[in-house]
Amino acid sequence: MIQAQVKKSLKGQQGDFVLDISINIQQGEMVAIFGPSGTGKTTFLRCLAGLEQPENGMISVFGKVWFDPIKKTNLKPQERKVGYVFQDYALFPNMTVKRNLEFALPANNNRNRVNELMELMDIVDLENRKPDTLSGGQKQKVALARALVAQPQILLLDEPFSALDNETRCNLQDEIIRLQKIFGITCVLVSHDVSEVYKLAQKVFVLDNGKIKESGEPAKVFSHGMTSGKFRFTGELLEIENLDVLFSLTVLVGNQIAKVAVMPSEAKSLKAGDRLLLVSKAFNPMVVKL
Amino acid sequence: MNKLFGRICEIDSNSHLSLVNVLSGNQVFTATLLEIPESAPYLKINNDVTLLFKETEVSIAKDFRGTISLSNRFPAIVNGMERGKILSCVYLQHQNNEIVSVITTASLDRLAVRNGDAVEGFIKANEIILMEGRWAE
Repeated sequence: MIQAQVKKSLKGQQGDFVLDISINIQQGEMVAIFGPSGTGKTTFLRCLAGLEQPENGMISVFGKVWFDPIKKTNLKPQERKVGYVFQDYALFPNMTVKRNLEFALPANNNRNRVNELMELMDIVDLENRKPDTLSGGQKQKVALARALVAQPQILLLDEPFSALDNETRCNLQDEIIRLQKIFGITCVLVSHDVSEVYKLAQKVFVLDNGKIKESGEPAKVFSHGMTSGKFRFTGELLEIENLDVLFSLTVLVGNQIAKVAVMPSEAKSLKAGDRLLLVSKAFNPMVVKL
Repeated sequence: MNKLFGRICEIDSNSHLSLVNVLSGNQVFTATLLEIPESAPYLKINNDVTLLFKETEVSIAKDFRGTISLSNRFPAIVNGMERGKILSCVYLQHQNNEIVSVITTASLDRLAVRNGDAVEGFIKANEIILMEGRWAE
């Protein structure tokens, strides 16, 4: 189990606040830290990785203490077995894809690891390319491979796909699920995207102003209490159109387009780009075998 | 979506399905749910819930006689209308709540619905979603 208690004063846009959270993560689990910008999500990841130091707390990973001010323990980032994937890829621009991966390999490690990972992730064709010749999706795939090179105990994913288009994002989410199954690696995902958390995480911690407001299974936490609505999807609002006394919403759910009719009072508070939860009862959908 | 606040007064379940009666004002509403008290702890007698149902799932009848399979049948007064070409909105006053029904304009004309009319509203039990606690806007 990973136990992380982190306390640290932060400066926010709306004034100073204290990041004060304590979470336990089971081995092999993917948990998400969810919340708006500036609530301390990234700081928490950076504290796990040793890039920042909490003022107080304790971090222990599978029985080994990484941080404990009482015992004066504070492992350096390179001593913590952590893979970190950033939103902006953070690849070395002057190195080829393969060099980027090799650079992350600990000195005494088997170089085959790099080739195996490139094959597993289907990026062998890119090995001699420099990052600036790659698409956003390819860059993030390389960054993900690089984070896995050193066989980390925890994979930290900081808004990893938020700069990518929807299709690429979906593909890379599938890739994460596949890799997590293969390596059984414990992952901590920071995201403000409900559908991403829904898809990837087994457990979500909702962070607000530095504190955990809610935690649990994403389906439960994001159901807004409507657990009896069994047909539940999250999507992005693309368009609102007037239909007689009702309004029609065009919603992108995964890569499918859905249409929903709502009352004017509901449409009024919505705008294109909003994330929506669509809820219906288990009795409603008709089913056709494909 | 229509929202009515109420309190669970009766639960009948088998291994997967529940029939839940909710008292709202002095009207009992019934919802069929694909969850049972063992897996959904909020399903408890006297717990506060909000009934949620779409306007398009509320039917209206005038001078209705005979029996009907729909579980939810409530008296109401027509409190306003909004007429569209195909669909129309009917505002129903039921006790202290407003329940909105969207029906076809053809039905509105067929029923000759007028403001102040006494009508009955109908909702199918499987169209009602229960939400824990009181809906917060």
